[in-house]
Amino acid sequence: MIELYHGGPTGHSASALIALAEKGLDFTSHPIDLAGGENHSEAFLELNPEGQVPVLLADGRTLTGTFHILLYLDEAFPEPSLGGEGTQARYAVHKWGKYVETHIAPNLAIARWAQLGGVADARPERLPPARAALWRQALAGFSQEQVAAARQALEKAAARVAQDAAATGWLAGAAYSMADIAAYPHLAQFHALGIALPAGAQDWLARVAERPAVREAAGDMPIVATMGPEPGRWG
Amino acid sequence: MLEVYTWEPNANSGKPLLCLCEKQVPFTHHYIDMGKLEQFSPAFLAINPDGTIPAVVHDGFVMTESTPAMEYIDDAFDGPALRPADPWWRWRMRQVMRYMDNVVAPSLAMLASNRLAAPRYADVDEAEKRRELEKIPLPERRAAWEKLMFGKTPQADLDESARRIAESFDLFEDLLSEAPYLAGEEFSLADINVMATFYHLPQSYPDDVNDARRPHMMAWLRRCHARPGLQRGFGTGRGFITQRAADVRRLLGVEDAA
Ligand SMILES: N[C@@H](CCC(=O)N[C@@H](CS)C(=O)NCC(=O)O)C(=O)O
Ligand SMILES: N[C@H](CCC(=O)N[C@@H](CS)C(=O)NCC(=O)O)C(=O)O
Repeated sequence: MIELYHGGPTGHSASALIALAEKGLDFTSHPIDLAGGENHSEAFLELNPEGQVPVLLADGRTLTGTFHILLYLDEAFPEPSLGGEGTQARYAVHKWGKYVETHIAPNLAIARWAQLGGVADARPERLPPARAALWRQALAGFSQEQVAAARQALEKAAARVAQDAAATGWLAGAAYSMADIAAYPHLAQFHALGIALPAGAQDWLARVAERPAVREAAGDMPIVATMGPEPGRWG
Repeated sequence: MLEVYTWEPNANSGKPLLCLCEKQVPFTHHYIDMGKLEQFSPAFLAINPDGTIPAVVHDGFVMTESTPAMEYIDDAFDGPALRPADPWWRWRMRQVMRYMDNVVAPSLAMLASNRLAAPRYADVDEAEKRRELEKIPLPERRAAWEKLMFGKTPQADLDESARRIAESFDLFEDLLSEAPYLAGEEFSLADINVMATFYHLPQSYPDDVNDARRPHMMAWLRRCHARPGLQRGFGTGRGFITQRAADVRRLLGVEDAA
């Protein structure tokens, strides 16, 4: 019995929804209204004190951390295999999972907030200190330097996607994998924020978008200006 | 052919070294002296243009992310498995590593480098420091080094790092009261990852990590330090980390393996 609390087909939640669809798994869906700040409600914070989606309930356990949820689904439900074909591809899957979390998602959250204005109803006072501090910073407004650095990091990420996808069309080895699923919903927002994508990255986006499971789970992806993972504090 | 470019066997450098020693996989060790900023030398930048260590090169395949490289080492080589079979415990193993990599280790690095590296730059002239900074490829690394060289790390950031480290001791004590190792009954990559950064706690944080206050962490530290594989791994240094690990073993009453 699987349940997923998610913010709809956008950002991290979209990765989890796509993975469940690729695996053909039935689950109970609990949408959380990110734009309305429902992820900071008392009820949701009881489930995940960090106030973030997605949250997976499986086997009586509560799992957070999108990339690790993806790997869990791949290891608990091995067919079809999405963990990378061969040891080098699997290394690349882990490398991309980490890069999305440390370099793409945090910078995307900042660039998006700066451009779209952010969630009006945020209630950071109920969050643990580190999350609350990030939200207070967002509500006060990110500095121009922060936004410029975030956009630069995203441009570099777009170039990396093009570079890694150049050989096979996919990010990690010869086959579509959890690396593509982890990165796709974030890269798909770049265009709307005016972040240039090299042709190789655009082709890769189109290739992922054509997959039946991606069309089914995240065919139409809204953009929500909520926060994301904390940017690195020390290089 | 397996080549490992690291500094002393701690933090990110320690992860592949300790891992390979646990698995008993032979490798060639190339010592990159961070004290001399060798990570920014042209020879090393040719291997990792990011200028960070470690780099692990297996038959020409270059890996520059330490935690993914640990997964690779366990995946690609024979020897004792270092990841639990159960998917949920594997999830737990990876969550612990992410918490260490993203929250705890950077906090400790911020405090340690402000204490140890920053004073070395107090009397270096500005132009010289700017020249050094220009050699650093990654913008986030350059920003951290700039704060260090010019003594500009905000006190609030240092305080927040101290808070995070203190908070992590509670968390690890809780985790280790549930199971002998961080990912269950068996030793795993999570234990290696955390040991690489926390092996010295009874010496460096004696008021927080001692038998009275954190008995489960202390028992775990003794279990880990007693492992011949980790002892060999901590022995791959040229000096102070290897010595410090030996000192901590003595402090804990752990015998050196033959
Ligand atoms: N580390 C988390 C990050 C998840 C995340 O950033 N989710 C966003 C939506 S895409 C969120 O819940 N933001 C609300 C908030 O940060 O308070 C993961 O990997 O799942
Ligand atoms: N690539 C990442 C980060 C590696 C990293 O930051 N390593 C530190 C040493 S522990 C480093 O190279 N620092 C270089 C510097 O401070 O310039 C990993 O392998 O986990």
